Amino acid sequence: MKLLQRIVDVFSSLWLSALLLSLLALLTWLGTLEQVDHGLYEVQKKYFESFFLFHEVGPISIPLPGANLVMWLLLVNIVIGGVVRMRKTKATIGVLITHLGIILLLVAGFVKNYFSTDGHITLFEGESADYYQSYYRWELAILEEQADGTVAEHILSHDQVAACIGAEGRVFRSSTLPFEVRLTHFLKNSRPMPKGPMFEVKVPVADGLFLSELEPEPEAEANVAGVCVTVTGRDGSQQSGLLWGVERAPLTVRMAGKRYGLTLRHERYPMPFEVQLLDFIKEDHPRMAMAKAFESDVKVREDGSERTVKIEMNAPLRDRGLVLYQASWGPQNAGPQTPLFSTLSVVSNPADQYPFYACIVIAVGMLLHFLMKLARHLRSQQSKREAVS
Amino acid sequence: MSTLIRTLIHSLLRTTLAWMLGALLAAGAAAQGWSPKTVELFESLPVQDGGRVKPTSTYANFLLLRLSGKTSLKLEDGTSLSHTQWLLDVMFQPEKAAGYPVFLVPDSDVLDAIGVGHEGKKKRDRYSLNDLKPGVMKLFELAQEYSRREAKLRSSLEQNVVTLAENINEYGGITGRMQLASIPPDVSIEQDPAWHSPEELFSRQRAGETLPAAHAAMLEDYLELAKRRDKSAEFEQQLEKIHGATLRLADARGEYDKIPLEIRYYDLGLIHWSLYTFLLSFVLVAFTWLFGRSRALYAGAISLAAIATVLLSIAIAMRCVIRDRPPVSTLYETVIFITAVGCLVGLFAEWVQRNRLAVSATAILGVVGVFIANGYETLDKRDTMPSLVAVLDTNFWLATHVTAITIGYAAGLFAAILASIFLLSKLFQISRKDKSYYTSLTRMTYGVLCFGVIFSTVGTILGGIWANDSWGRFWGWDPKENGALLIVLSQLVILHLRMGGHVRDFGIAMLAAFGGIIVAFSWWGVNLLGVGLHSYGFTSGISTALNTYYIVQAGIMVLGAIGHLIELSRQQSQVPETVSFASDGQGSAS
Repeated sequence: MKLLQRIVDVFSSLWLSALLLSLLALLTWLGTLEQVDHGLYEVQKKYFESFFLFHEVGPISIPLPGANLVMWLLLVNIVIGGVVRMRKTKATIGVLITHLGIILLLVAGFVKNYFSTDGHITLFEGESADYYQSYYRWELAILEEQADGTVAEHILSHDQVAACIGAEGRVFRSSTLPFEVRLTHFLKNSRPMPKGPMFEVKVPVADGLFLSELEPEPEAEANVAGVCVTVTGRDGSQQSGLLWGVERAPLTVRMAGKRYGLTLRHERYPMPFEVQLLDFIKEDHPRMAMAKAFESDVKVREDGSERTVKIEMNAPLRDRGLVLYQASWGPQNAGPQTPLFSTLSVVSNPADQYPFYACIVIAVGMLLHFLMKLARHLRSQQSKREAVS
Repeated sequence: MSTLIRTLIHSLLRTTLAWMLGALLAAGAAAQGWSPKTVELFESLPVQDGGRVKPTSTYANFLLLRLSGKTSLKLEDGTSLSHTQWLLDVMFQPEKAAGYPVFLVPDSDVLDAIGVGHEGKKKRDRYSLNDLKPGVMKLFELAQEYSRREAKLRSSLEQNVVTLAENINEYGGITGRMQLASIPPDVSIEQDPAWHSPEELFSRQRAGETLPAAHAAMLEDYLELAKRRDKSAEFEQQLEKIHGATLRLADARGEYDKIPLEIRYYDLGLIHWSLYTFLLSFVLVAFTWLFGRSRALYAGAISLAAIATVLLSIAIAMRCVIRDRPPVSTLYETVIFITAVGCLVGLFAEWVQRNRLAVSATAILGVVGVFIANGYETLDKRDTMPSLVAVLDTNFWLATHVTAITIGYAAGLFAAILASIFLLSKLFQISRKDKSYYTSLTRMTYGVLCFGVIFSTVGTILGGIWANDSWGRFWGWDPKENGALLIVLSQLVILHLRMGGHVRDFGIAMLAAFGGIIVAFSWWGVNLLGVGLHSYGFTSGISTALNTYYIVQAGIMVLGAIGHLIELSRQQSQVPETVSFASDGQGSAS
């Protein structure tokens, strides 16, 4: 019981709050500087989404808790010390409210971390989409031609594909497919290269090409994944090939008298509505090449009805748990007559609006607390002056 | 990069043509200066530049600043030209203007590289176009080569060569020409936002296009103006006609109403006046410290600090009206706003405590802040009221998030100044026996931190909410976001340590002083990293100043720590020997 008491004391202590806040500040600072060389995506994974990490200072590796762990501990600390065990008096009401706001903010972060997906839709005018795709995650789609001309898709997720590293890789079977798929040599960033006669490679070669591994890009969305695939039919027949993330056409195989396509593409998420880009407007400041405004006029079709919505910078579309933002446009070197495409970021985040509420709660709490303190201080100063005079 | 090379080649051709045209135009040009009315008319003529309509004087001011590092020109015969007079000469008396020493060459090795002599000149000096003419071909050749390299990889010689070539390029675009976009379209702003230059309209007319009647008439007026440049009175008359026509068109589009205010803003020079007033306040407050507290000096110091803050606040308010924006939307504006807010906080703290400490810090912040603002303006050399990129073009978020976070910066810096006064006082043993002096400083530092933490926290969260609406995520660990978070965390650490009794006066001072370094890193340092989504705030050439501040602030902390240790050792040596009491009740020293 004493041990439990001691643990509770530690977890509710102010020095632990200060320590955790300091650690979070340290990680934030290190993670900021690291972005110069390693890009945001890698740094985010290493410093902010992790539980533990090693920070390299020259040849020395310093073990540190990750920001994810620190924030969990901070949540525990603030719940026990800043809410449950805190003295609840008139003087501490502001602090209590502030702590509740911080808890809401931290919860928003955890919900976002564990339950949100994000990606984008890129459309030229007139095009439409009812799914969005990830910037970073990949999936392998096996496309099966149906008798009615439609295509059925069998999907292997990012986590399944990304686990197929090395020559061993992994084998996937499905009762609905007449073949098994072996994936090997998954590469996070790669480029197909012609295999010349003057050198050997340790990876499979298909049609004179092999996948060459590249250093991960600082901007993670610029990475192009690749994987080697071998399809083995039930009769033992085999077909092999390379799948590369930005290949225009799928790799086709014929098995059991049927044609199948295999393609490595960014992970796709279905939307409960369809979006069609009607018009994309990019307005520059007069006589300048600086953008003043971007705007996508889209038609949203859902449940048999349709409506027109304007999505612009700082004014996203929120609908059925999804939020669509004006993210970018292209091509960047477009001439005056070149058709432009619009990229809309899409986010599914159950905690989308929590920070807004948290902000209000925290502001109220802090204002209450510090104004009360100021009023007390002013009163005491006044009485001191009166005493002197 | 190829765009720059193309631009430079075009510029070379253009400059050559301009010289030829200038020589033709300038034949028989009046040797005397422009009449005061001509200058007045020209400076208030609206032009469209940098995506907005502004007075010609503002355009001339920043152009001259870019080329020469100054906003007025001193000729070799000792006469001075304002930026507007200079621009008039550049446009209408190009041959004369070509002899003005307007191009700042930061190091004479640039001239060695392009084969131009510099006998009798200083290492860093200004040269006229005529001086540089023999080396211009070589200059452009070198600039073409150096500009292929990334700016951050260029040596200082290479960068100076590229900058000089760009400046000559820009000068070539206007000298002896009518390239300023000074003719408003005769339709509404929605129908056509872009103004025209006389040269553009002239080209269109020559290409067979029928210009609207208003434009055809204005073009005719401009051609007449060029013809009369050597007849002062007629030139003035013609300029007045153009001025009137431009104002009518601009006014009809709602693009003239802010022009007089902007001219007034620069004429008044409130920010410069606030610097002088802060300096005077600083001098008075220094007297009170050196020669004892005098009620008159104290009142004078406070009054001057308050007047300076008011001047600064009026300048900020005028900028808000001119641009129809909240007070902070550019890095320059963060400096003056932080200074004004910091000074207001300081004056409030002085009103509460009334012990000269806060007003001293206010005067210091005022002087340093306005000095930095002026330095930044000179370094950046760009219009300080520029057009904004799309994501920033939102008054709601600029008014809430940016304003709140900037107030947080101001409080953090003001707390750091108070803490630095505490630490330096420890070192120099100021008011060593007056405990209330240090208590009062600590109380003020704490109060300012409390004020700051509200705005830092709320401002940071508001930034996240803005990011959620703009980029689709509340928090992306972007360097600028991280900088803001660092300020919040550092302030929360101080408050929690204080509340737990883990730090007291000295500890709070050390942490608050360190907070100044964190604010500087968040405010300027992260922009220098050159990564992240907030790259619109990027500024080159400030790393030296920033590193100097880091070192000075860290030095103050070290010195303060030394002072604290000295005081501790002195206290220990002064501790009375332990007294024990014998059982018989008589004390004896052990």
